[in-house]
Amino acid sequence: MSDFSEELIRPTTEDEQGEPRAPSGTGMCFPWLQKHIETIATGGKQEKDFAQTTSACLSLIQEALLKHQWQRAAEYMHSYFQILEDSDSNKRQIAPEIIWRLGSEILYYHPKSSVETFNTFADRMKNIGVMNYLKISLQHALYLLHHGMLEDANRNLSQAETWRYGEKSSSQEVLINLIQAYKGLLQYYIWSKKKMELSQLDEDDYAYNTASQNMLNHSWKTSINLCALIQIPGVWDPFVKSYVEMLEFYGDQDGAREVLTNYAYDEKFPSNPNAHIYLYNFLKREKAPREKLISVLKILYQIVPSHKLMLEFHRLLRKSENEEHHKLGLEVLFGVLDFAGCTKNITAWKYLAKYLRQTLMGSHLAWVQEEWNSRKNWWPSFHFSYFLAKSDWKEDKALACEKALVAGLLLGKGCRYFRNISKQDHQVLKKKIKQMKKSVKKYSIVNPGL
Amino acid sequence: MDFPSSLPPSLFTTGPLGLSDVPDVSFMCSWRDALTLPESLPQGSENTAPHVAKGLLWEPDTPGPLPLLPPGPDPWDPGVTAQDLLFRGGYQFRRQPQAVLDVSEQLSRFLWDHGDIAFAPLGKLMLENFKLEGARSRSKKKTVVSVKRLLQDLGGHQPWGCPWAYLSHRQRRFSILGGPILSTSVASLLGELLHEELALRWEQLLLDDAFTGGALAWVPGRTPGSGQLVYPAGGALDRLYFQKVNLTPGSEPRVLGGPGHIRLRGPVRQVVTRTVQGEGKAHRHLPCPLTDLLPDSDPDPDPLHPSALLAVRSDYHCALWKVSKQGQPAPLQVLQVEKGATGISLSPHLPGELAICSRSGAICLWTPQDGLQQIYKDPETLVFRDPSPWRWADFTAHPRVLTVGDRTGVKMVDTQGPQGCGLLLFRGGAEASCQKGERVLLTQYLGECGPECLHPTLHLICTQFSLYLVDERLPLVPLLKWNHDLPSAPLLARLLPPPRTGLPRPLLLAGQGGELQLLHIAGEGASTPRLAGPPQSLPSRSDSLSAFAPLEPKSQWRLQERLTAPAIGLAAAIPPSANTPVLSLFQLSAAGDVFHQGLHLQADPGPDSPAPTASWTPQATASCSRWLKALLEVPPAPPVWAAPTFSHRRLLGCFEPQKAESKAPEGLRTAMAKGRLLQLRDLGLLPTEERAPAPEPGPEDELSERLEAAWEGQAAAWWERRRGSSLGPGKQPKRHKRRTQLSNTFSSLSGRLDLSDAASPPPSPERTLPAARPQPPVTPPSQESTQELWARAVPSERQQTLRDYMAELPLQGDAPGGASVPSSQTSSVRATPSRQRAAVRSGSQPHCKKPRMGF
Repeated sequence: MSDFSEELIRPTTEDEQGEPRAPSGTGMCFPWLQKHIETIATGGKQEKDFAQTTSACLSLIQEALLKHQWQRAAEYMHSYFQILEDSDSNKRQIAPEIIWRLGSEILYYHPKSSVETFNTFADRMKNIGVMNYLKISLQHALYLLHHGMLEDANRNLSQAETWRYGEKSSSQEVLINLIQAYKGLLQYYIWSKKKMELSQLDEDDYAYNTASQNMLNHSWKTSINLCALIQIPGVWDPFVKSYVEMLEFYGDQDGAREVLTNYAYDEKFPSNPNAHIYLYNFLKREKAPREKLISVLKILYQIVPSHKLMLEFHRLLRKSENEEHHKLGLEVLFGVLDFAGCTKNITAWKYLAKYLRQTLMGSHLAWVQEEWNSRKNWWPSFHFSYFLAKSDWKEDKALACEKALVAGLLLGKGCRYFRNISKQDHQVLKKKIKQMKKSVKKYSIVNPGL
Repeated sequence: MDFPSSLPPSLFTTGPLGLSDVPDVSFMCSWRDALTLPESLPQGSENTAPHVAKGLLWEPDTPGPLPLLPPGPDPWDPGVTAQDLLFRGGYQFRRQPQAVLDVSEQLSRFLWDHGDIAFAPLGKLMLENFKLEGARSRSKKKTVVSVKRLLQDLGGHQPWGCPWAYLSHRQRRFSILGGPILSTSVASLLGELLHEELALRWEQLLLDDAFTGGALAWVPGRTPGSGQLVYPAGGALDRLYFQKVNLTPGSEPRVLGGPGHIRLRGPVRQVVTRTVQGEGKAHRHLPCPLTDLLPDSDPDPDPLHPSALLAVRSDYHCALWKVSKQGQPAPLQVLQVEKGATGISLSPHLPGELAICSRSGAICLWTPQDGLQQIYKDPETLVFRDPSPWRWADFTAHPRVLTVGDRTGVKMVDTQGPQGCGLLLFRGGAEASCQKGERVLLTQYLGECGPECLHPTLHLICTQFSLYLVDERLPLVPLLKWNHDLPSAPLLARLLPPPRTGLPRPLLLAGQGGELQLLHIAGEGASTPRLAGPPQSLPSRSDSLSAFAPLEPKSQWRLQERLTAPAIGLAAAIPPSANTPVLSLFQLSAAGDVFHQGLHLQADPGPDSPAPTASWTPQATASCSRWLKALLEVPPAPPVWAAPTFSHRRLLGCFEPQKAESKAPEGLRTAMAKGRLLQLRDLGLLPTEERAPAPEPGPEDELSERLEAAWEGQAAAWWERRRGSSLGPGKQPKRHKRRTQLSNTFSSLSGRLDLSDAASPPPSPERTLPAARPQPPVTPPSQESTQELWARAVPSERQQTLRDYMAELPLQGDAPGGASVPSSQTSSVRATPSRQRAAVRSGSQPHCKKPRMGF
């Protein structure tokens, strides 16, 4: 049996087999174990010819796919269908999934394949074996959606939505929820198109009423479709986004807030930064009080201190009257600049330079020192090396000036970065450099009091 | 930093590996990754042509990689195989493959081969029970055995599986006396250790994680196309080589001078390199000049000429090296890891900072100035219990946060926070829809090449089934999962800079067996990382076999073995090129060979254009044959220990040197004395004159022709001729004719092998071997014809010599009716120690002339 098909055995079918896979003492599974065992196979009961040819065919298809030889893969695929007649019921059961997976990939990339071919293939595959109907329907719809065929995709999903087989299992339920959510998303697309049309119409127009009535209907349908799935733990960004947009449009602010709050704060959900970003953006649109915004961003700060919203967070904190917030504002700026992807962020450096001077002027030396203590052994080589001084000056003089000020404040005027920049001769920045030197002399934490 | 504004939908379930009842919709098709949900459909999208991400395709310049450097002077031993370890008999096809370690055979082999080690201590203990000399035992004690008699009785028997073994009463007494001690003590003491060792070897064969990360590094040099390869080679991989290479697009890389090498104290397992002082754009965020580390370095670093740092991991040592701008390597510091190091990585942010993992479960941060700082220690694995002591650590986008990985998961650990806490980045469980038995084999930080075109927060995690991309800002939920289907463990991965601006970044993945895959990863800014187009497989070293001229089987096997040696290193460079992007790929094999593969991006993959296949250029085959010649000059690895065969030197004494003899027997004797093959020129005769006339050389008798050519050592030339002739007008001999020819050659072949006639001794064990293999029942040629053939095949003066030689061969003793010698017995005969052989000889020499056996 090929390893490939082994992989596709779902846990449930594995349990049905009643044969746990305990291939080695460590519990680790080695897909290449079979290969090793085959090298020593002498005599004994061998795999049947049928199984041998099908597994050889499978590996040929995989090889062709990895070499982008779609034509060849399609030819082999033609022969591979024989696996559907395998006498081994277990193999027969997982075969449709393999065929779908490989076949759809071939048809997706094959230069001569068309949407019609894909449709025919998908429709056939849905009805071979009952286990894959929902999954294939979902992927078929995604394919159609990707090709811009919204109507077909919608029809497909509607069909799948009503499909039932046997006892409703939890996995089936999740799939149906997914299908409904995608259907909801499709309706959202149609809705947003209508909205666009509506915005171009005059309010007094007769057509306006019918159009808005249409939209109302859609929204009602969609909300049913979408809200079931987003209760299940997962990452549902596109669904949540579109759902909230519709709720907002119809003035259901409370509903939208509830959805977003749930999505962001439910502990069963993964800590998704987007959930907090959506909530923040919503509250901002709603013109929520600053305290509220800060509390949302505080959580985002804990998850992603490098996010670009952190600069906005800093601005909010700076404006706040709370002393604690001012301290946090400094922390946030240091936090952003810790990350490798943010080292060239001129806004962050500008904010830091300004805020650092402001903090030191406000005689909050302890705050700065607290932040600096954990960074003083690596920031100098991470941000303020001699090499960086040269390259920053060459690339972005404004950035180099901001950084030099920070370097001077934190490391003193003896710091190489500061020295290098301050001795640069530049017409436009002359004044700025002079100011920088003055600030450093006055406020640097290295020589307090001097 | 930007975060993807909308992540692809995925279910989130928690739980152990492969137990949840949740549909895995995250990846059913690889093409699904190409599908991204539109934010909102643009107007009139129904009419727009579907934008299908047609894959980027890299075309290899040659059908397989070519050896870049001549093979090293040390022989290479491929080590144990599954055949050495597993039980061979009674294999049954099972759905769940099962491996059974064959301890008993190994043990019996050990007892046979190393009887002195196995039994000597016991023999010493039992010394008083043996009587070593004297003809008759005077003592009345029944517990004393005369060794001389015992040996006499033992002689002539091949007790290993021999059904005809005859037991004398002395032997019986001895076996009763010694049995309990011999059988239990040796077996129980050794068996346990042996089983442990075999299990260890078997696990190593299934997964050898020593070379995780790879031991080949490309250190870019002063000019864009030049650089150095750093890799271990030599028999024990304990020499670190520095080879300067110049890459020019469109041609093979030029090797500049011989490699410099430094001998280390242990095998090198991993080499990691990183340029410092920001070479080009890719390393601009690598800041600090090494001036902080080295007093003697140039205080004014020139950004165009970077120096590089090398981290080298051996089994019990880790070292930091510096390669200066001129390319001179110098060691900076060495660290001893008592429990054994499993991984080393160099910080992309702070030069000279390393993360080191130890088998004890400790992860340390190491800087040459500040020394070691243990940041994490847990002998237990992260998610669930796994016995593997393998640990791994890498850096993240935050210079003070490391990832710590083991087989079960990956965790992010803040080096400044309290020890032991951190956030799980990847869990081997339902979160990533892992399968049962799935384990982490490699984790790698992908942000190191700069933030230009991919999120600098991405991590690659490879298991034996799949490849995951995880963003450290969204732990536990893989952003991408792809089923790599590699037939061996993916232990090497390299993310390359985009070959051209705007193109996605290639990610190379290599399995331990040398299989290579290339993926493209796209997604920057607000979009999620995804596969750009279908992945592609690249030629592996074994694909290069066709570039070599055909060889005789033994050399061919050696070549094949060498080409399929496990991959232990992977490096790639993108040399600057004017138009089509090119990629230079270097592979290091466990035999210490460096192979190079040139690839270029297919200009415009048209919808109908079939992928053009590369072919071997004359230069390529020429370089291959040069390499092969050098390889075959290397003596094959001497076996660690081989079962003694019968000693021919002993036989030499039996010869009565006859003065009047011709040159031939003398040549034979010297050949025997030196223990090498008797060749025609040893007989002092011109080989051309000596050539045996082919037995009935039919016009189409290919096999005999080939054998003849091989006999003369001109197999390659024959093949060339043959190939040339087959290119001509094709002759299609009829099938039955072919078959008769085949059987003709077969009978002539067996005629040659069967050296027996009425007067000749039975076939020696060596000779029976080919006959003992399963063959179709060939009707034996008549005795006369056999003799005739044999007589014709061997010149008359050699016939006599051979007869003499055969007459001196030890015989099969008294094996009754030894008409057919089972192959197992034959091999056992070969493995019999020489002492017993001598006894056999003295005992059975008189009946030299046995009736003919076989057929």
